[in-house]
Amino acid sequence: MFLHIFKYELLSSLRVKDLIIWLMIFPIALGTFFKIAFGNIYAQNTKFSAIPAAVVGAENDPSFRSVCDSVSEGDEALLKVTYTNEETALEMLEKGDVDGIFYAGDEVRLTVAGSGLGQTILKSFADRYSVSAAIIKDALMNDPASAPAVIAAISEDVSSCREIPLTEGNTDNMVQYFYNLIAMVAMYGAVTGLHVSVGNQANMSPLGARRSCSPARKSVSIAASFLGSCIIQGLCMVLCVSFVAFALGVDFGSKLPLVYAAALLGGCMGVSIGFFVGALNMPESAKTGVVMSFSMLMCFFSGLMVGNMKAVIAAKVPWLNMINPAAVVSDSIYCLNIYSDYRRFIVKMISMVIITLVFVVLGLILTRRKKYASL
Amino acid sequence: MENTVVKIENLVKRYGELIALDHFSLEIKEGEIFGLLGPNGSGKTTTINCLLSLLSYDKGNIELFGKKMTPVSYDIKKDIGVIMQNVAVLNELTVYENIDYFCGLYISDKALRKKYVEEAIAFAGLGDFVKFYPKKLSGGLLRRLNIACGIAHKPKLIILDEPTVAVDPQSRNRILEGIEELNRAGATVIYTSHYMEEVEQLCTRIAIMDKGRKIAEGTKEELKRMIRNTETVTIEIIELPEEARAQIASLPHVYSAEHDGEKLVICCSGGKHNLIRILDVLQSRDLSFGRVYTELPTLNDVFLEITGKALRDKED
Amino acid sequence: MQVFNAFLKVLKKRSLSAMIYIAVFLGIAIPMASSSTSTEAMKLTSLDICVFDEDGTDASRELISLLAKNNKIVTLENDRDVMTDALYYEWIDYALIIDKGYAEKLAAGETNDLFRSYHMHDSYSVVYVTNLLSEYTSTVKAFMTSGNSFSDALSKTADALSTDTEVTMKSFSSGGGLTDVVGFYYRYLPYILVAVILGTLCPVIVTMNSRDLRFRTNCSSIRSSSYTMQLFLGSAMFVFAVLALFTVVGIVMNGGINGDMLLAIANSIIFSLVVTALTVFVSGFEIGPNIQALITQIAGLGMSFLCGVFVPQSMLGSGVLTAARFLPMYWYTVLNDMLMGDTRFDADKAALCLAVEAAFAVMLVVLTVLVRRQSSGKNAPRQKKAEPAAA
Repeated sequence: MFLHIFKYELLSSLRVKDLIIWLMIFPIALGTFFKIAFGNIYAQNTKFSAIPAAVVGAENDPSFRSVCDSVSEGDEALLKVTYTNEETALEMLEKGDVDGIFYAGDEVRLTVAGSGLGQTILKSFADRYSVSAAIIKDALMNDPASAPAVIAAISEDVSSCREIPLTEGNTDNMVQYFYNLIAMVAMYGAVTGLHVSVGNQANMSPLGARRSCSPARKSVSIAASFLGSCIIQGLCMVLCVSFVAFALGVDFGSKLPLVYAAALLGGCMGVSIGFFVGALNMPESAKTGVVMSFSMLMCFFSGLMVGNMKAVIAAKVPWLNMINPAAVVSDSIYCLNIYSDYRRFIVKMISMVIITLVFVVLGLILTRRKKYASL
Repeated sequence: MENTVVKIENLVKRYGELIALDHFSLEIKEGEIFGLLGPNGSGKTTTINCLLSLLSYDKGNIELFGKKMTPVSYDIKKDIGVIMQNVAVLNELTVYENIDYFCGLYISDKALRKKYVEEAIAFAGLGDFVKFYPKKLSGGLLRRLNIACGIAHKPKLIILDEPTVAVDPQSRNRILEGIEELNRAGATVIYTSHYMEEVEQLCTRIAIMDKGRKIAEGTKEELKRMIRNTETVTIEIIELPEEARAQIASLPHVYSAEHDGEKLVICCSGGKHNLIRILDVLQSRDLSFGRVYTELPTLNDVFLEITGKALRDKED
Repeated sequence: MQVFNAFLKVLKKRSLSAMIYIAVFLGIAIPMASSSTSTEAMKLTSLDICVFDEDGTDASRELISLLAKNNKIVTLENDRDVMTDALYYEWIDYALIIDKGYAEKLAAGETNDLFRSYHMHDSYSVVYVTNLLSEYTSTVKAFMTSGNSFSDALSKTADALSTDTEVTMKSFSSGGGLTDVVGFYYRYLPYILVAVILGTLCPVIVTMNSRDLRFRTNCSSIRSSSYTMQLFLGSAMFVFAVLALFTVVGIVMNGGINGDMLLAIANSIIFSLVVTALTVFVSGFEIGPNIQALITQIAGLGMSFLCGVFVPQSMLGSGVLTAARFLPMYWYTVLNDMLMGDTRFDADKAALCLAVEAAFAVMLVVLTVLVRRQSSGKNAPRQKKAEPAAA
């Protein structure tokens, strides 16, 4: 009996157009857009690369030129310097080919076209040059004997700061949009889950009434529908994660199999939310509305639309991130990527299980009734 | 010996202030086609929903196949086939899959189920449409699919709640013949409908409901006998003096005689020689008349008269 | 005007989502306008730096106050997980630990391994702060080498590092220009226009043009051309109302009309025409509400991502931009970027943008007519329902 209902649950779910559109096509399209839009941002904006700068009048200032050369060398170059005349330099600045123009001379001057970290670093470089030059000049004038030591001290290549690496995972934080995309698909599981209760409640659909008249036990029928929905939802989750990971080439870190596990569990959580909402006493169209707006709201809080939403929530209402189903899903994938131990990942997975159980139990309480006061 | 299949005793169902069923009792024997008639809101569907344990009720007792019916009486449910007013099929499954799905809720044996499903398809005349999805079916076909889903498992008790609403005459005939066929094969049938002629054609016994109460019950002949008007005589006659009409109206068993300038319509109750006495009056006055015909009462007359009377009773 | 009235009634039922879009958009845009500042001098980027002072000496406190001069010092729990989250999501830009013994080591002329930092991104911030720290320590060491005491060296370093290089801010925009706020308002507007016009009008037109309803109206005495005209009038009124609202808000935010503002308004008007033409085109197909919503979402989000609305064009790959040229929103954004001063204003290019957008509208209208003509040839009902076999 269970298998029979289960089989037809799968068959009928697979043919629902909404499901294919919203759980398969839409995430694929959205993921592609994310990839196009956010693909370069981390590499271009967050990750440091040598800052392009033009230098005018370097021919008369060999010491500035040699400093510029020294910071433009090697893999960890600070600047990418072009020596040129003022006209070309301004043209390059206007086109955005360089972030700033240094005018060499007694006092190094800087011309920029905007404000940003690149420009700030250029200014700090110029500041540093001026300070060092002043100190060396000072030393040469006041105490020529110690001058070589001072010059050595100031030009010494120091590494005063030791970095504590926090992760071995993918640090591209634009990937969080893909985490949230997966969370969105999981939340859409609620739409899949709606009919588990609607289709089994005599007072909610003619179909439910017909099923209630059959000798199939309601518990069996609900369990089969629920499992079927979870499997369909799981399929959508696998499709979504596979598309993001392989077609779009998004790096989830080294634990991809567990990303699938988190996504599958998230999908079941979505179904359980749908199961609960479906059991509430309101018209079916209203249920769809409730489920959709709830999903989108949760995704908004988890950062699907605005990336730093999660930070705002973490600062203002930290408990929301712990119980927001969408945030829990995206966090679990994030934890897998960033943390080398599984502690936080397991906490997130347990949260998902708890949320799922809560909604399933609430749903069961609501669908427990077998007779209705009115149909 | 006839077994009692359905036994309802003193069923009371309230929706707040409204009393939907007022001490309603019913007994249906095995092999009957039982018609449940009544105007809208008289409690037919409520009765059926209570019978199926979908609705809770305030008082009363319901037994099916001699056992008390509860929501978990799966052994009883196994033998019931239900066809509700609303079409309840899965739009995502084909005709064949739908029937197989619902049949599978009752029959686990795959080979047997396959046979049953094919029989149900043949029964409903859906052979050409097995691969169709419900949305592509016309209204009549959809109703037939709805019925096929309800009876494929060969239930002993079939409950049909207005199965022929919005169905073309061909489909309707097919459905009615099908129900008789099922009955011949041994099923007991409960049938509710607004269509008097259907019930008259089909049902062996009929109960008429109004305002949650059973106001009449019996075979159709018994029901017809319950009303005064058992025979209507119509005579085509152009000129009819008022005294003649009055004389006819005063004949024994005649309780009304109306003349509209073309026809004289006389309603009689009981009595054996009504027509002869009426024609005697006309001949004695040398009045010429055209065709004469008499009609026996239909169930419609019974229904209107009984429910109409019931309405008057309430207003008293 | 029966059709027109019915149109408006259907529109009213469908306008909730449009209202939400408009309300949220204005709700975000208007408060932004009041907090706008103009930029004439270069602003140093202020970083959010979290410092854990394990040394706790005057020297370490002096360093912190130096950092605090141009940056914001943030207090967070010194926990690896907290730091990981904060750095990953860039809630803070840098997490510095001043090691115990910092002052002692520095006073001894030691400049290596004085600090530790939690490391996440190889970012500009990290390079900036790391360089700053190295500069600081080597400068202190240099001052000490030239005979200053440790505390003198610290204070001299603080003074020296306050030296500011003279920075000139060069502006290449066309003068007047739109302020950032109005510019951003007009940058995001096309997304809202697609969501509101396509998302609202499409279901209404599809409803009004649904086969059964159309058949019924065709049987009535109203002329088919009149029916179409009334639908057109209703749609035009809706689009006009939406545009009027956005334009008025734009003008108020801008504090009046100038040349650039006029161009921005013209840009939005022509783009609305494109969206309206797209709506009419899409509505020509008998599609269900789900597909309609999907098309709205994909057209709105897709164009916005591809054409540089959500992410500036300068950050998109050249391949993406080449493909985006075939979308009207690309040209809208190119013009808007010029008006915002992100790119240099060029009158010819501006005219080209408007012309290309208009061409998209014309193309869509032509396509609509072609498709309608094609499908009206075979007017048979598409979805033939199965009729029962002869009974």
